[in-house]
Amino acid sequence: MIMTHPGLPLYWAYAIGIMMLLLGLLTMAVKAPTTSASRSISLAKLPLIGGLFRFLTKYTWPLLLLKIAFAALFITVITAGLWGTPIVERNLATTLTWNLWWTGIIIAILFSGSAWCALCPWDNIASWLVNHSIWRHSNSHSRLQLKVPNMLRSVWPASLLFIGFTWLELGVGIVASPYATAMLALLMLILATTTLALFEGKAFCRYMCPVGRTVGAYSQLAPIALRPIDSEICRNCKTLECFHGSDKIAPCPTKLVMGRLQENTYCTSCGNCTQSCPSSNVSWQLRSPSSEAIKEAKPHMDEAFFLLILLSLTLFHGLTMLDYWEVYLSEMAQLINDSGQLIISFSIGLAATLILPILIYCLCIGLTQRVLKNSLDTVVTKLSFNKLFSGFAFVSLPLAFSYHIAHNLTHFVRESSDWLSLVANPLGIGAEPLSMMDKHMRHMEMMVSENTLFIMQGVIIAIGFVIAAQVIRHRGHRLFAAQGITLLPMILFAALVTGFNLWMLVQPMTMRM
Amino acid sequence: MIKITSKTTAILSGLLLCALTLFSALTQAHHVLGRPSYSLNEDSNTPPSMAIETQIGEYFFTYMVFPAFPKPNEPGRVNIYATRIDNGEMLDQAITFTVRDDTFWGESIGIGDGAKPEVIGQQNIDDGVYRQGFLFKSRGSYIIRAYFEDNGEPYEIDFPLQVGAASPVGPIGATVGFIFFLLLMINIVQRKRIARTKIQQGNTV
Repeated sequence: MIMTHPGLPLYWAYAIGIMMLLLGLLTMAVKAPTTSASRSISLAKLPLIGGLFRFLTKYTWPLLLLKIAFAALFITVITAGLWGTPIVERNLATTLTWNLWWTGIIIAILFSGSAWCALCPWDNIASWLVNHSIWRHSNSHSRLQLKVPNMLRSVWPASLLFIGFTWLELGVGIVASPYATAMLALLMLILATTTLALFEGKAFCRYMCPVGRTVGAYSQLAPIALRPIDSEICRNCKTLECFHGSDKIAPCPTKLVMGRLQENTYCTSCGNCTQSCPSSNVSWQLRSPSSEAIKEAKPHMDEAFFLLILLSLTLFHGLTMLDYWEVYLSEMAQLINDSGQLIISFSIGLAATLILPILIYCLCIGLTQRVLKNSLDTVVTKLSFNKLFSGFAFVSLPLAFSYHIAHNLTHFVRESSDWLSLVANPLGIGAEPLSMMDKHMRHMEMMVSENTLFIMQGVIIAIGFVIAAQVIRHRGHRLFAAQGITLLPMILFAALVTGFNLWMLVQPMTMRM
Repeated sequence: MIKITSKTTAILSGLLLCALTLFSALTQAHHVLGRPSYSLNEDSNTPPSMAIETQIGEYFFTYMVFPAFPKPNEPGRVNIYATRIDNGEMLDQAITFTVRDDTFWGESIGIGDGAKPEVIGQQNIDDGVYRQGFLFKSRGSYIIRAYFEDNGEPYEIDFPLQVGAASPVGPIGATVGFIFFLLLMINIVQRKRIARTKIQQGNTV
């Protein structure tokens, strides 16, 4: 029997709909912004929590302890997956991976930016194995230090792996198999170790890791990030220890110079720069969530496509948990004579959901280009479709992030497992499946009240649209001198995606396990 | 820094191919039908069962295994419920059940005796259910095939069945072995390279 969670009350959808209409009109009516200066506060300088942040950036051992703890959890997941019970809800491998980590990691970005990457067990275990060192510069002979081939120097490998992950997760159904979950964990460890042993830097983190790239993309909207405390010190710095490393500390694994860092995408929060900077000028900063998205930095085409694929896959996750999806699968399977796990029907649905939002985005970009050409002949004669495509791709980021958080909140709040019994018996030895009564009880026992959940979801979706509107207004003006009615196609795109997200949230949603 | 040459590209491709081959051989049965769910009714004192739902052609199938985790030398049973998708009518044809080993080599290439199916019985509908008993003498992964014909169309439904626990040694062994082999090879290549550089430097001095 499939159990479902109730959806967001309809009045939330109406309220956000009205807000979108008003904000859309306002975005076109107000004058183009003249400046994008945004303030940031160094968390290390704050009175109460400042000491904690100074402590965390000064010493290496707290982070090392956390890395060891997460590596131990990762090994426990593999052990539980391979040796534990196949009952999904009784095995720590599936519950920890899919119920806690996979849902929680997106929510955690809001509070910790890309900090997950610093703790990532795939990369940390691979580094310990290959470098034979836990933090410092390594002279290990186990790295070939090859240059990454040009064909891999983009985020396309991460995009393809992310699509593959989604296919395995929702199509093949590894969520329902502790054994397959452990196999996937081992496969990722092999990939991380192989790329680290073969290539210079951290090619896996930068180009291939679907989780790292997702965290990196979303962390551009995170209110906290590692940044210079005093940008003047960075401007005068000639030695660039953050980039080159020091005698003891390894260089930046993704080759970033802290003083010139505009986007958080590739920062893995590893803390090397905080350790190597001779002026101790790097620390966690509090900033506006939209401060990066509204700036001029244009993503490359592969990065722009990644943002749109992220949006499509986020929508797809939501779609597959609606009742309509089962109806679609059944009808498509009959139409094409698909059988068994209906994997072909699933793959067709995945492909369509991947392509459709990108096509709609292209249509809106095409309309923007046409409107701009008509209204600003002289300015936009050199305006190409590709420039508009990559320049506005950031619009999809807050839309994807807000829905992803709102969707994951349902899983997180409503499907919290009985963690005490799981930790006590991570392999689920001798455990029986949840009875219908147990499932009902789990369904009813929420972390927070249902109303609180709805308020959080509604507010997050609304904030997503507000940031998207800001991105359209700021980037439209600064990159393409667009304002007023010329912004309409992109506002319609943001409204359409937000409307669809709201519609999905209003529907009852299938429980994950 | 080292430049990529055709030789290193070949090594890289070979290693990645090895990893992929290794893992494709180790992945679980690729013909698992539907999503398995293990159910236990609070009013029942019977052991949990595993149920899988799927659809093939004109029919919806529900496949249940009792017990959910069969063990060697312990009797078990497969139940199949089959109803037409369009009108919910039950299937009323004899179903033949066969079993074979679920191994990558036996399944895809037909190597070994396990690839040959063995008939375990033919069953008619009984009170809306097709019931087939089984008893496996050894631990392993098996495929049970239910076969029938309807309107001249053959229906073959493959169900995976794990008897005893799946071996965890294979994936762990493969991972540790691969990483060990990779690091060892790279270490040898690097040491040779360093030695060659030292000799070259010695010659030029």
